[in-house]
Amino acid sequence: MSETATLLLAGSARIKAIFLRYGFLLVFAGFFVFFAAWNPVFLQSGNQMNIVEGSAILLIVTLGMTLIVATGGIDLSVGIALDFGAAFAVVAMKSYGADWWSAMAIGIAGGSLVGILNAALVVGLRISPFMATLGTFFIGSSVQRVFTDGGGPISHRRLPDEFRNLAMGDLGGIPTEVVIAVVLCAVYFLVLERSIHGRRIHAMGMQRSASIMAGIRVNRMLIASYVAAAMTCAVGGLIALASIRMFTPLSGFSYLLDAIAAVFIGAALHPRGRPNVPGSIAGVLFLGMVTNGLNLMGIDFNTKDALSGIILVSALALAVAQRKMR
Amino acid sequence: MLIYIGLEAQNFFTWLNLKLILNQSLPVVVVCLGLSIVVMAGGDDVVSGGIDLSIPATAVLCAGVAAQWLAGEGSLAVAVILALVAASCVGAINALLVAWVGVTPLLATLSMFVAVVGVNDVVTASRRINVADPFILWLRDGHMAGVPVGIPIVGIIAYCFYHLVHRTRFGLNMQAVGGSRDAAEISGLKVVRLQAASFVLASLTGFIASVFVLARGSGSSPGVENNLLLEMVLATFLGAAFSGRRVVTLWGAALGAILVAAISIGFKSMGVNVFWTGLIKGSLILIVVAFAALAQRESR
Repeated sequence: MSETATLLLAGSARIKAIFLRYGFLLVFAGFFVFFAAWNPVFLQSGNQMNIVEGSAILLIVTLGMTLIVATGGIDLSVGIALDFGAAFAVVAMKSYGADWWSAMAIGIAGGSLVGILNAALVVGLRISPFMATLGTFFIGSSVQRVFTDGGGPISHRRLPDEFRNLAMGDLGGIPTEVVIAVVLCAVYFLVLERSIHGRRIHAMGMQRSASIMAGIRVNRMLIASYVAAAMTCAVGGLIALASIRMFTPLSGFSYLLDAIAAVFIGAALHPRGRPNVPGSIAGVLFLGMVTNGLNLMGIDFNTKDALSGIILVSALALAVAQRKMR
Repeated sequence: MLIYIGLEAQNFFTWLNLKLILNQSLPVVVVCLGLSIVVMAGGDDVVSGGIDLSIPATAVLCAGVAAQWLAGEGSLAVAVILALVAASCVGAINALLVAWVGVTPLLATLSMFVAVVGVNDVVTASRRINVADPFILWLRDGHMAGVPVGIPIVGIIAYCFYHLVHRTRFGLNMQAVGGSRDAAEISGLKVVRLQAASFVLASLTGFIASVFVLARGSGSSPGVENNLLLEMVLATFLGAAFSGRRVVTLWGAALGAILVAAISIGFKSMGVNVFWTGLIKGSLILIVVAFAALAQRESR
């Protein structure tokens, strides 16, 4: 009798240890199994690809957000950079007949304007990143409304095929936007986690004054980070433009909350709580999986919103609690 | 800036317009009080310090719950109790997440914002619900000595919160936690409990604001929360510019909220295209915050 009790106790201690180490992954797997049991379609490789494809833009935006959060700031204007990327590209093609690659370059340059403004505010005027990017968000939204005369979409049906392929084509059987997202992930991973620049960015994010004393050119790094993040988001805007063949003002806002959530889920998974690229990717895939799974369950969209919000809160609480208990 | 609007737009400085501005700003003033309390108790670093973005969502949820109950011919008292329960749930979960689990306030309350708005959409099925309860109508249309009743009520509420935060032991302890968490902990304050209390108080302001949201819109409608969120953050941190030490204060936040409403209405009465107001508000935050940052650098 007592032997079984000790066994049980030892068992529960072990379960606790396992849970603490892999808690978030277990939840991830739990949801996966749950959705798969509910609707077998969830497991099909086509659907798995759907999840990844549907998450591509969010993943790209999240990479930019990861970089800014790693510098110790936050970027509320990622959506504006995305919109500007799409707007500049569509106007270049529609009104000036630009070809697809120069439209892409113009779109990315347009997005970088947002980054330059942020950098000027944060570095030049020493405004805190939250307030600076909030201001950029207000200004950017207003500019789009004035420009489109109230927020009407600009559609361009005759996109060049090459541009359209950004969202519709595939490279060796893999959708192009997934390829772009993976390449960007690899670049961000190498720069942020495996290079001297990444070390400096993390150092700056953790202890700014110490990193200044250590001789890191903090201002230069910050400017580069804000501009790079905005350009990355603009790439997301180009893909969005290519897939729906129109630019909808203020559409980037919908990515903001998800991107922040993904970055912080990722940070919670990190042993020292730093934002990091692999964690962010896990966060995005988790959010994508939940959305997809809930869609397949076929519940009413109001309930779906509430459920995904509740899942988000619980996942975050769990990820943070798990880190604290270790 | 205000003087310029006053000169450009006729009737701007009339009594009627002033009442209009104050009346419009009531919900924002109330949620700003809540946000200021959280910021004071959590430190004013926006990313890692105290912040509660879920207050507007709480207000909208309370409004939705109350409106739904009233639409079903329920009594006002029960509606108020239901809304209060909803608000306390949000406050309790926020407090749990931030104070005990240790999630960053920005993140915890942002995800709560999403979740609460989602729950509200379920409650109201994303529909507009009209409310014609006598009390709500009285709050909207009633006058007391020529002043809309809402204004003195919010004035009294603001004074109560002021008293709580600045004139009681509890309030001062809470401010001490925000000022320096470590020092507060060493001097034996129950840091976790005080921070939790600030979130519960904030959700309470969300509940109070919901009453004014109902009165202003004569019912609950989806989508109010986004505007309320932006105005709340704008007004509270704009308010920091009014204080001597450039920190968030209750009066500063309330003044900021009125100022934001005044600017919106001022530009509308000047006939400026609505599309530009975002640009103007955005530039305004940046100018104020930049001046604050520059002044801080000068004084060092």
